[in-house]
Amino acid sequence: MPAVAYSLYIHVPFCRRRCAYCDFNTYARLEHLIPAYVEALRKELGCLAKAAGRPLAVHTVYFGGGTPSLLPAAAVGQVLDTIAQRFALAADAEISLEANPGTVSLAGLRALRAAGVNRLSFGVQSAHPADLRLLGRDHDYPTAIRSVAWARQAGFRNLNLDLIFGLPGQPLSRWQRTVELVLGLAPEHLSLYALTLEHGTPLAHQVEGGLLPAPDDDLAAAMYTWADERLRAGGWASYEISNWARPGYACRHNLQYWRNLPYLGVGAGAHGYAAGQRTVNVLTPQAYIRRLQRPQARPFPRTPATVQARRLTVEDEMAETMMMGLRLTEEGVRAAAFAERFGRPLEEVYPAAIPRLVEQGLLAWDENRERLRLTARGRLLGNWVFRAFLP
Amino acid sequence: MAEHIRNFSIIAHIDHGKSTLADRLLQLTGTISPREMTEQVLDDMDLEREKGVTIKASAVQMHYTAADGQTYELNLIDTPGHVDFGYEVSRALAACEGALLVVDASQGVEAQTLANLYLALENDLEIIPVINKIDLPAARPDEVAQELENLLGTPADQILRVSAKEGTHVEAVLEAIVQEIPPPRGDPDAPLRALIFDSHYDAYKGVVVYVRVMDGRLQQGDTLRLMASQAAFKPVEAGIFAPHMTPTGSLRAGEVGYIATGLKDVREARVGDTVTNHQNPADTPLPGYRHPKPMVFAGVYPVEGEDYQDLRDALEKLQLNDAALVFEPETSQALGFGFRCGFLGMFHMEIVQERLEREYGLDIVMTAPSVEYEVVLRDGTTVRIDSPAELPDEAQIVEIREPWMTIQIFTPTEFYGPVMEMVTKRRGIFTGQEYPTPDRVVLSFELPLSELIIDFFDQLKSRTRGYASLDYQFAAYRPGDLVKLEILVNGEPVDALAAIVHRDEAYTKGQRLVSKLKALIPRQLFAVPIQAVAGGRVISRANIKALRKDVLAKCYGGDVTRKRKLLEKQKKGKKRMKMVGQVEIPQEAFLAVLQVGEENR
Repeated sequence: MPAVAYSLYIHVPFCRRRCAYCDFNTYARLEHLIPAYVEALRKELGCLAKAAGRPLAVHTVYFGGGTPSLLPAAAVGQVLDTIAQRFALAADAEISLEANPGTVSLAGLRALRAAGVNRLSFGVQSAHPADLRLLGRDHDYPTAIRSVAWARQAGFRNLNLDLIFGLPGQPLSRWQRTVELVLGLAPEHLSLYALTLEHGTPLAHQVEGGLLPAPDDDLAAAMYTWADERLRAGGWASYEISNWARPGYACRHNLQYWRNLPYLGVGAGAHGYAAGQRTVNVLTPQAYIRRLQRPQARPFPRTPATVQARRLTVEDEMAETMMMGLRLTEEGVRAAAFAERFGRPLEEVYPAAIPRLVEQGLLAWDENRERLRLTARGRLLGNWVFRAFLP
Repeated sequence: MAEHIRNFSIIAHIDHGKSTLADRLLQLTGTISPREMTEQVLDDMDLEREKGVTIKASAVQMHYTAADGQTYELNLIDTPGHVDFGYEVSRALAACEGALLVVDASQGVEAQTLANLYLALENDLEIIPVINKIDLPAARPDEVAQELENLLGTPADQILRVSAKEGTHVEAVLEAIVQEIPPPRGDPDAPLRALIFDSHYDAYKGVVVYVRVMDGRLQQGDTLRLMASQAAFKPVEAGIFAPHMTPTGSLRAGEVGYIATGLKDVREARVGDTVTNHQNPADTPLPGYRHPKPMVFAGVYPVEGEDYQDLRDALEKLQLNDAALVFEPETSQALGFGFRCGFLGMFHMEIVQERLEREYGLDIVMTAPSVEYEVVLRDGTTVRIDSPAELPDEAQIVEIREPWMTIQIFTPTEFYGPVMEMVTKRRGIFTGQEYPTPDRVVLSFELPLSELIIDFFDQLKSRTRGYASLDYQFAAYRPGDLVKLEILVNGEPVDALAAIVHRDEAYTKGQRLVSKLKALIPRQLFAVPIQAVAGGRVISRANIKALRKDVLAKCYGGDVTRKRKLLEKQKKGKKRMKMVGQVEIPQEAFLAVLQVGEENR
């Protein structure tokens, strides 16, 4: 195994209530399980470290959810302690935690900072009360402003804010206003996500039932293009389809996914990618806790919580490298890196797809013909590009 | 012996309870034990049971000891319940001496019942009217009895009133059959003449024909011959339906039964043909034989090109049991390799489509149905075309003739106006009206078949709140001012979307088709113009805007698999579309022609 640095994803599936658009692995009203769950997380980390047989290098940690900010800071600290003890955690590691405005306090944020968290990601979503109501969020924008201010006071120098656009009935002007207001909070990083109506969510039901207008893709495209231009003009780097950063603040954890590099997933329903396998953990927190009560050793990267481990073929790995790598709008897929990783030149593996996508104006080589990247149009039609690389 | 035989059939409109009544008769005569009694024994195919209609005829023998103490052999010959199968109905009726006319006590007489009644009267059958479903809250048996009296002259108070469902008065029906229907005439010593009223294909016994022996007798060892097809054969088996096929080795004048012919092709033993003895043949066949002619044509294509051979096999197998189905290979520039199929009517087409999908598990695309046109060319020749794509260049054409039908619509008088308006808008010509009862009218029209096959029946039903019924027969080929309506997608003509329409309607139909296609064809990477062209002119145009956004925003917690699955699903969906030039066209689009009539016609 080459000496690569791993990323570590820790899933926290608890929420006070579920948002109207969310179909991710989250649960409301299970907060009483948090102490046992944190215990289980630490055991699973221990299992992974043991199975690896040596302290694996880890350079990013990401607490995602769910609502990780529902964890007491002390619990986050315990998990980070376990990581520091059992893994070779880099001194400059990026340690992110997702937080909902409205679940944080100044004291709590100070404690998180002291525990080692150095990057926060706030789910702000919108500055407009109508949008927030539609999304079923339980915070208002003033709360978001206050949370950001507290985070700065607590010493956080790396903040991401999540926004969602393309909501049913959301006009372009309201989106523009949200972006302008949020820029006033001076974050280092912005994630702007187009709303996806996930089947089975309350929001999708409302749209299917005709209670809400269906999101307008053309308008969403206009919102995207406007925001991208606005941010670039303001000195932001547009480095991934949905992500913009101040110079030097690209999210290292997410770059790991997009570069198709290994990460370990810990927690209920967490996904991992290591030693050529994609792993999935058992979904519910109850089952997760149960599986880690008397942990049995399993070969790396599997743990007692793993319910699925699929070894990728070379074709799979190449396809996923393209699918993920092309999301990086600046970096793209480097032909040399591809050839080095797979022992075959990029253009030989995809002799038809690449020229066709280039001709369709969705992909382009950079001036030195070193990197393959999405064009401005291709960024909005990514699925057309990614599909072409599926085996 | 023939004195104790009664051959009869049941004439009824769909849903008026024919099968339920048949079931009760079988039960009462002990032909079938309660244990064997699955509902509607006579309707064998699943599809029939679901649609509640009989697609194929069938027969069953019962034994009934009547009030006079004598035991009678009753042969019930079931008739197909749809107007597409009018010819089969006429042959089944020709095999009988009498018929029960079953009418729903809440619905009254319907057009199709009437049409079959006329057929029965033409065949000199004794008619026994029966009012069914008297148990329904909406039943109005007195009014319906009056309708029947007007129609048949049977005094209203003598008409049987039953509930087949509850079993009320069903015994009286059996008595009426024995007393009123005459026993079969026919000379047992004359040369053999047996009428084929149905058939099916059996993998071991070959084509099994269902026959009514009119004259003479047959033995299993005889060599027999079909008088129309000239096919000769030695029966593998002969017997009766009791109710399942039971070998008896012989059949004689007056009896109803089956002959397993050993023939391998249903087309050699068609309904209506006469079976005779090869050594001692009859001089003349039984009257009324007609070669069934397909009236409606459509292209049938496999969604996946590699299923072509499977589709051919399935069509061949269907044809074994369905002599009216015809097909030949056809190539479409848009849809690839497939078959041009001919059907008796829209219902027949639907049945075939469903059987291909359900029984053979095939994914198929069907093009909009067409009729067969006669095209007279400048060089004096006449060609017959059943696909709009085959229509020669306009400059070569002297005249196009299309099939016209005579149709009868039976409706409550309150819908007189809407029906009249609908039919005349479709180029129908009003030819007459009759009032069998004061509040019901039979309107007769002549109408091009092409207008009848596209959405006519559904429209008729919706305009009359479901009350109207319809019957039709072929009339003649007549010249019409017809043009080819072509559809160009992204500048290329798509053969499978072409239609032949009346010149006056080309504009509206073209417009509707274009807007329908605009809604059905998904947005592509580039703008796609859709044009309708008739007589060399673009008569309608719309643009499908280029797609702007199709990208997944987010990858939740490194869940690459989920993302990939979604992309794979999308890719599969794309595969199910047909690439025409650079444009992906979904299957529904090829049926859009069918739907253009729906809007404010």
